[in-house]
Amino acid sequence: SGVSSGCQQGGCLTCSDYNGCLSCKPRFFMHLERIGMKQIGVCMTSCPPGFYGTRSPERNTCTKCRSECDSCFNKNFCTRCRAGFYLHLGKCQENCPEGLVRSDTQRECVPRCPV
Amino acid sequence: RPALRAVIKVALLNHEPTGKPITLEGVFVGGSAGYAEGKLMQYHPLSLCNTSEDERQENDFITIVKLEHRVPRCLPLLDKARMALDKGAQAVIFDVSDDANAAAELRDTDSLPRPVVLVEAEHAEELMGLVNKNEEAKVRIDILVEPPRWPHYDV
Repeated sequence: SGVSSGCQQGGCLTCSDYNGCLSCKPRFFMHLERIGMKQIGVCMTSCPPGFYGTRSPERNTCTKCRSECDSCFNKNFCTRCRAGFYLHLGKCQENCPEGLVRSDTQRECVPRCPV
Repeated sequence: RPALRAVIKVALLNHEPTGKPITLEGVFVGGSAGYAEGKLMQYHPLSLCNTSEDERQENDFITIVKLEHRVPRCLPLLDKARMALDKGAQAVIFDVSDDANAAAELRDTDSLPRPVVLVEAEHAEELMGLVNKNEEAKVRIDILVEPPRWPHYDV
């Protein structure tokens, strides 16, 4: 199938009308973007919030963070939590360990304020 | 054993139900012939590669994937079909117009829990045309019952 407008993006190496990007140029990440019922490939220099980049010999891909994370370095290290969860040592939890309290503004476990 | 043919009826969700639904045909694979219905939802061929925690659809949906020979297979097609069904699809439709090996790859399988259908040519183009225009559609898949061909009697 031919080349479509979606294929003129800078990072795209090969693409098709219906699937968008099929492969990316080196160093770009392949992100699968859902737009209604469609899902197309998009090549990005860095992954969007809520996703992290994984490099491999075949292709670099954007993978979704855990559901409780708003953003993350990788599958096991969150950098910001979703509402109702609190960050502690890279994990998003509903409760904080002993000696720490939940900060709703930062969505983190923080030391108790001295009285 | 000849592969059973599938009839695919497509009703557009955002249009007044005036006209007849679009009727297309395909071929069941993997011993998966049967009935299924759901909203049409496209998946990129690279989305069925790992079990990462990506988006899960809420209601009943039918996955359609346009296969491309230029995309190296990250998994055998049978595993891709299973992964799509594991992600909650009521059925999977593969557009094999641009991937000649796909049909052969799935011909000998016999163990799929829900319908998997191959489409090509004008049938595939009609479906992917709806996807390209983001025309939300409800799809019903069933076994195509061929009208009996009466033998010629010399009266």
